[in-house]
Amino acid sequence: MVRTPNLSARLKREAQRAEDAAHAAGLDFFEVLFEILDARDLNAVAAYGGFPRRYASWRFGMDFERLHKGYSYGLSKIYELVINNDPTIAYLVRSNSLMEQKLVMAHVFGHADFFKHNVWFAPTERRMVQAMESNAERIKQISADQGQDNLDRMLDRALCLEGLLDPYLPLQGPRASESVGRIDHARASFEAVLDGRPVRPPEPTRLAGSALPTYDCLAFLIEHAPLEAWQREVLRVVRDEAYYFMPQRQTKIMNEGWASFWHSRLLTGGLLDGSEIIDFADCHSGATAAQSGQLNPYKLGIELFRHADRLGHDLFRLRKIHNDTSFIDELVDEEFALENELFIYRDNPKGGGRQVADRDWKTVKQQLLSSLSWAGQPRIQLQEVDSEGALVLAHMHDGRDLVLQEAGQLISNLAHLWGAPVHLLSLDQGQGKRVTAGEAGISVADCELAVERCGAPASPVERGDSKRQAG
Amino acid sequence: MGYEIYRIEKDRARFRDIVRGRLREDLKKYLSSTDLLGQRAGRTISIPVPQIELPRLRFGENQGQGVGQGPGEEGAVVDGDGQNGEGAGAAGEDPGQHMLEVEVEIDELAEMLAAELELPNIEPRGTKQLLSEGGRYTGLRNQGPRSLRHFRRTFKRALTRTIAEGKWDPAEPRVVPIKDDERFRMRRTAPLPESSAVILHMMDVSGSMGKEQKEIVRIQAFWIDTWLRSQYKNIEVVYIVHDAVAKIVDSEEFFHLRESGGTKISSAYELALELIQTKYRPDQWNIYPFHYSDGDNWSARDTSHCISLLRDELLPRVNQFCYGQVKSAYGSGQFKKDLEQALGSAENLISAAVDGRDEIAESIRAFLGRGR
Repeated sequence: MVRTPNLSARLKREAQRAEDAAHAAGLDFFEVLFEILDARDLNAVAAYGGFPRRYASWRFGMDFERLHKGYSYGLSKIYELVINNDPTIAYLVRSNSLMEQKLVMAHVFGHADFFKHNVWFAPTERRMVQAMESNAERIKQISADQGQDNLDRMLDRALCLEGLLDPYLPLQGPRASESVGRIDHARASFEAVLDGRPVRPPEPTRLAGSALPTYDCLAFLIEHAPLEAWQREVLRVVRDEAYYFMPQRQTKIMNEGWASFWHSRLLTGGLLDGSEIIDFADCHSGATAAQSGQLNPYKLGIELFRHADRLGHDLFRLRKIHNDTSFIDELVDEEFALENELFIYRDNPKGGGRQVADRDWKTVKQQLLSSLSWAGQPRIQLQEVDSEGALVLAHMHDGRDLVLQEAGQLISNLAHLWGAPVHLLSLDQGQGKRVTAGEAGISVADCELAVERCGAPASPVERGDSKRQAG
Repeated sequence: MGYEIYRIEKDRARFRDIVRGRLREDLKKYLSSTDLLGQRAGRTISIPVPQIELPRLRFGENQGQGVGQGPGEEGAVVDGDGQNGEGAGAAGEDPGQHMLEVEVEIDELAEMLAAELELPNIEPRGTKQLLSEGGRYTGLRNQGPRSLRHFRRTFKRALTRTIAEGKWDPAEPRVVPIKDDERFRMRRTAPLPESSAVILHMMDVSGSMGKEQKEIVRIQAFWIDTWLRSQYKNIEVVYIVHDAVAKIVDSEEFFHLRESGGTKISSAYELALELIQTKYRPDQWNIYPFHYSDGDNWSARDTSHCISLLRDELLPRVNQFCYGQVKSAYGSGQFKKDLEQALGSAENLISAAVDGRDEIAESIRAFLGRGR
C-alpha cells in the first residue's frame, strides 16, 4: 500500500496507479510513503541527506545554502528524493507538472525495489528515520553538556574521517553498521555517564573492523583511542551514518539505471496519457543525456540494463547481486562500449583541456572499474601502531596519486583523536612518501618502506566477485 | 512538513555566523590583500572562505584520465570541466569545488569594516534635502497617445456604459468603446529624497607608479567603494587616469594600465571639474574625488595650478577630497607637502601617505573617518 499523507486526490490516484503497474511488472518494495514539498523545503531535506530530523549542524546549513543558491539561480533542481527506509519515503516537488510527478513516482518504485532487494543494502538500517532521530537526540545532549563549539570541533574531526571505512565490512559477518541497540560499549558507557552510573569495564565484544590491520579507522578509534565517552559517541554516530550511506555510493549507476529503466517502461507501458508522450520524452532524454566529458550514471545504468535485457539476462537477479563494479565487470563488452561510444580521455599534453585518447573497450572497462572500486575512494589501510605509539596508515596505490598536502590535513585530525602522531604511507610519481602529522605539524618525507607497503593487494573487483557468489 | 524543516534556518544562520566570524578575524588580512577584488556583483561580494571545507582524500594530478561518452575521433577535444569525469560512482561529491565562496552583502562587509576601523556613518551634506523628480506611470487621464491607452480601464468603462444603456446582451457580449470611455496612463511625478553619490577615482599612471603601487590603489579603491556603496543607494564610479593628460577609462583599464611619461596632475583635476560641472552637479550628487599618486608633479607651476583648482573650484563643490600618496621608488612625495602647506586648513581635504600595504587600513580610516 502506498501512503500519501499530503497529496492531492489527483496525485493520490496516480500514485496508486504507478504502484499497481510496478507490482504488475514484478517490482517489490516496502510500503512507499509519498510526501509533497515546495522546492525550498525539499532543498532543506536534501541538505540533511533526506532526514529532516537529523542532528543539527552548521554544515547542513552550508549544504542548504549551496543547494538553495543553485536552485534560485536556475542551475540545479532536485526532482525527487528517496530514502532507503521501511517504509520507503519519497519526496515530490510541488512545482512539477503532472507528467513529471508520474515519472518521479515510477522512478521511485524502481529505487524502492532496489533498496529492498540489492544485497549491498541488506545490512543497512531499515529504521533509519528513527535511528537518525535518536542520533540527533544524543548529539543535542552532547552539545548541551560539552558546548556547541566543542561538539562542532569533534564533529568536524569525525566527519573528515568518514571516508576511512571498509565498504566490504557490512557484508562480512555481524552487521557492523547496525549497532543501534547492540553490543556497543561506547554507547553503554555514555549512557552510564548520562545517568550518573559508574562506567562498566569494556565488554569483550569489539566492533567489527576494529582489529588491525583494518580499513575501518573509525571502528579502531572508537575501540582504542584515548577518548572521552561523548567523543566516542560522536564517532559512532558518524560511522553509523556513513555506513548507512555507503551502498548508495557503491550502486549509484545500477540504482539510477534500474529506476530509469522502470520509469521508462511503466510510463510508456500505459501510465502516460497520449498527450504527455512528447513532454515525457523530453524530460527523460534530459535526465539520461550523455555529455561527452562525463559519464551520466542514469544513462550508463539504463543502457547496461537494456543491454542485459537484450542478452537475455535475468534482470531481477542482476539487481540483487551486484554493485556498480561487479555489474560493469559482468556486462561491459565490446558491443556495449561501441554502441555507447565510450572512450578514455586524457589531458592534452600540449594543454587546452582533454581529448579522446582511446576507444579500446578493454582499456575503457579497466578504467571504469578502477575509478569505481572501493566506492570511488582511495583505499587506506590502518596497518599498525608502531613502537613509538604512532598510527601507520598505508594508501593502497592503484596508479593514482593522492593530494598529499590535503591528506596531511586529514590525518592531523586523526592524530588529534589518537593523541599521538599519525603516518600515512603513499607513493608520489613512483617515489615512496611518508606524510606525518603530529604536534610538530604536517611534514612529507621520502620513504622506502612506502614502496613496499603501498602495493595494491588483490583487486577489489575480485573481492566483489567473491562476495557475489556468497550473496 | 511541519516545523522541523525550519530547523534548517537555524543551521543556516549558524553557518553564516561562522563565516562572518572567520571574515572578521581575517579582515585585517583582506584589507591588505587583493583577494576580494573583482568579487563584487551587484550589492553582494562573494568571498572565498578557506579552511571551512573539510580536508578529503583526493586523487591528484597524475590521474589525468577518465571515461567519457560520445562521438569523436581520437584526439578530439572533450567538453566538461574539472575532475568530474572520474568518479561516476562518487555520487553527491563535487570535486571541482575546492574553495567555498560565500556571498556577503555589501552592507555587511561595510559594517565589519566600520567596526574594524571605527568609521562613523556619513551625515547628510548640509541641511538641504536633496530631491529629485522621480516619475512612474501611476495616474490616469482621459486624453493621451494611443500607446498609453489603459486597455482594462477603457473596456471596463465601456462595459459599464453598455450595461447602463441597456444594450448588453449576454448571448452576444460585444463591447465597443467610444471616445468618452478611453483612459490613458499618466506619469505622476513625485519628489524622491536623493541619495546618489559619485566617486571619482583619479590615478597617476606615469612611469614611476609601479605594479605594487597600483595594487595598493586598487585595494584602497575597493574598500572605499564598499564603504560608500553601503552609505548611498545609488553610486556611480568614474575612473580617471592621468600622466601628462587625463582621460576616463573603465575599471579594468584603471587598474592595469601602465603609461609612461610625465605627470601633470592638474589635467586630472580639470577633467574632474568638467565632469562635476556637466554631469554630476553638486545640487544632485554627493561627490567624492580620490586622487592617488606617488607625489611627483611635472612642475611647481602645475602644482600651484592644482592648488588653486582645488581651493576655488573643487573643494566648494565636493563632500570631501582625498589625496592618497603611495610611496614609490621614484616619487619625491613633494605634492602632499605642497597640498598641506597651501590648503592644510581646508576641512574637506584629507591627505594620507601609504608607504606599504600595511598602511592601507590606516589611510582608509583617515579618508572615511570623518563621516562626511
